[in-house]
Amino acid sequence: MSARPTLFSSALRVFDFSLGQMLWSRRSVFLGLLVGAPIVLAVVVRIFAIAGWLPIVNGSQVGGPALFGVLMWLLFVRFVVPVLGVFYGTSLMADEVDDKTITYLFTRPVPRASVLLGKYLAYLACVVLLLLPSIIIIFFLVVPIGGSIGQAFPQLAADLGMVAVGVAAYGAVFAFVGAWLKRPLIVGLVFAFGWEQTVLLIPGYLKRLTVAYYLQALVPHAMPQDSALSMLLGMFQDLPSVWVSLVCLAAIIAAALWLGGRAVENREYVLEQ
Amino acid sequence: MTVRTRYFVIVSLLVVGVGLGTGLMAYYVGFPTSAFLVTGGPEELRYLPSTSTVVAYADVREVMASELRQRLRESFATSAQENGQREFQELTGINIETDIDRVVASLETSGSPTTNRMGTGVVLARGRFDEVKIEGLMREHGAHVDVYKGKRLITAETPKPPTPPDSQSQIPAVPPIPQTPPTFSLTFVETGLVAVGTTALVQHVVDLHTGGGASAATNEGLMERVKAVGTGNNVWAVGRFDVLRAQANLPEAVAERLPPITWFAVSGRINGGIEALLSAEARDEVSANNLRDVVRGFLALAKLQTSAKPEYQRFVDSLQLSGTGKTVALSVDVPAQVFDALRAAMPKPPPGKE
Repeated sequence: MSARPTLFSSALRVFDFSLGQMLWSRRSVFLGLLVGAPIVLAVVVRIFAIAGWLPIVNGSQVGGPALFGVLMWLLFVRFVVPVLGVFYGTSLMADEVDDKTITYLFTRPVPRASVLLGKYLAYLACVVLLLLPSIIIIFFLVVPIGGSIGQAFPQLAADLGMVAVGVAAYGAVFAFVGAWLKRPLIVGLVFAFGWEQTVLLIPGYLKRLTVAYYLQALVPHAMPQDSALSMLLGMFQDLPSVWVSLVCLAAIIAAALWLGGRAVENREYVLEQ
Repeated sequence: MTVRTRYFVIVSLLVVGVGLGTGLMAYYVGFPTSAFLVTGGPEELRYLPSTSTVVAYADVREVMASELRQRLRESFATSAQENGQREFQELTGINIETDIDRVVASLETSGSPTTNRMGTGVVLARGRFDEVKIEGLMREHGAHVDVYKGKRLITAETPKPPTPPDSQSQIPAVPPIPQTPPTFSLTFVETGLVAVGTTALVQHVVDLHTGGGASAATNEGLMERVKAVGTGNNVWAVGRFDVLRAQANLPEAVAERLPPITWFAVSGRINGGIEALLSAEARDEVSANNLRDVVRGFLALAKLQTSAKPEYQRFVDSLQLSGTGKTVALSVDVPAQVFDALRAAMPKPPPGKE
């Protein structure tokens, strides 16, 4: 009689077949749109820059590094990363339940938590492998507009790291929500676009119960400072240091995955007939 | 993992790897394609303020190596000029002839019109500099070092111009206005690039270098004109004449007589001789036509005056007025022979003074 596989080796097996499933699923069309739209936007910006149609602000053309910062902040950090976390994270277990295939996974001689962990790793690989090239392409399209690739490179490296950490944190949180609740998508959307956006504007300690609070501290320079909302944010801003943010995000990921694993181990999934 | 999944992973990692590798290379060594921006002009324009009133450029290396410079050096080299260069080298450790490749300068007319102050400036020089020696020399002359955004800012008080000895007896005593003494700073923005100028502007250069943002390179109006003058010229300057005039606090009678010029540009190529072009953009076509008439009159007068002096006639003959619409341009081509003629016309120094 062979020994029961460990959690990690089982998770790797689940990861292996889940990555292909995730990449070539219908959801990937949505992911492709989310990732492709900013590239199209960057191409349009570049064409406008070549044609000299970029907007003039205070007598000066908007610079490429500033545009890249705005794209990163408003498009990726505030929208793409949470959206991908919600849609992919909440569906890690829910898809198997909906497709009634979860029984096949749970009847294998592997820890139940390894299913969630393997699927989470597949989500991470799938999203990171699509998002990072997209950001790099946008960087090379936008930054040369009045900017220097060499000088803006540290910003790119920091942004790539921030996006990867953000995807991991949001994915872990919503993987737990997906494993714990029966209708996780609504809860996920309310958390990402209701709770997080509102609490960040309110002074006090509540903002520490969001992922965005720690994420925005990783790359504060990318936040545009010219809007009324940014000014309001700036008034109440007490960003933690990079190290505190990294530790907190790592704690969030670890806690969410552990709680998600516990939920999968203990929950009884009822397949609707 | 299926084959297409594997291919996807490989392609994705390849894009990330190539992107990061290219960025890293650009970060450490820069792209050796050109020292000039895609939009025209030297790359240093990225570090100059977007509100620059005048921007100027000189390819120091090319000018210093030019045939004309060598001729002038042989003809007019004076001990005063050499002493000046030596003093600058002793003060800053920079040998203008060999250490500097090119300079880009910016003038900002931030001064109030009532103070008659023309503004502040910054010069970016690219070349080879002994950072330790320069800092040491400046500290010896009373400068102090501050750290601004990770850059060492060597700051000193701006030297005051000497006061004529009898000026105090003629001008009634006015109580001095308390003000912060102006300071100038020097910092090494990156290896081989030094910024010297008003402290606030040097700090702004550091801001632009570290964080990017709106710079002279993103000022569309300025860049349009820089692009027009930058090609093929080793010295040029572009600026807002109307802003300079407003800040100059000229007497009303003089200001009224000045032509309504908005932009001006001076560009030149120094090699065997000097080929230069002075162009001005008037407020409207009527003003441009008036300006052309005035210049035409001056040219006719100059030709009349120099008809008996063949050594200057060639210079005056080379002056060409052109331009259409709102633009007025005056080109000049000064061959080396003109300088030879000037040398011949100069009085010989008494024996023993050479």
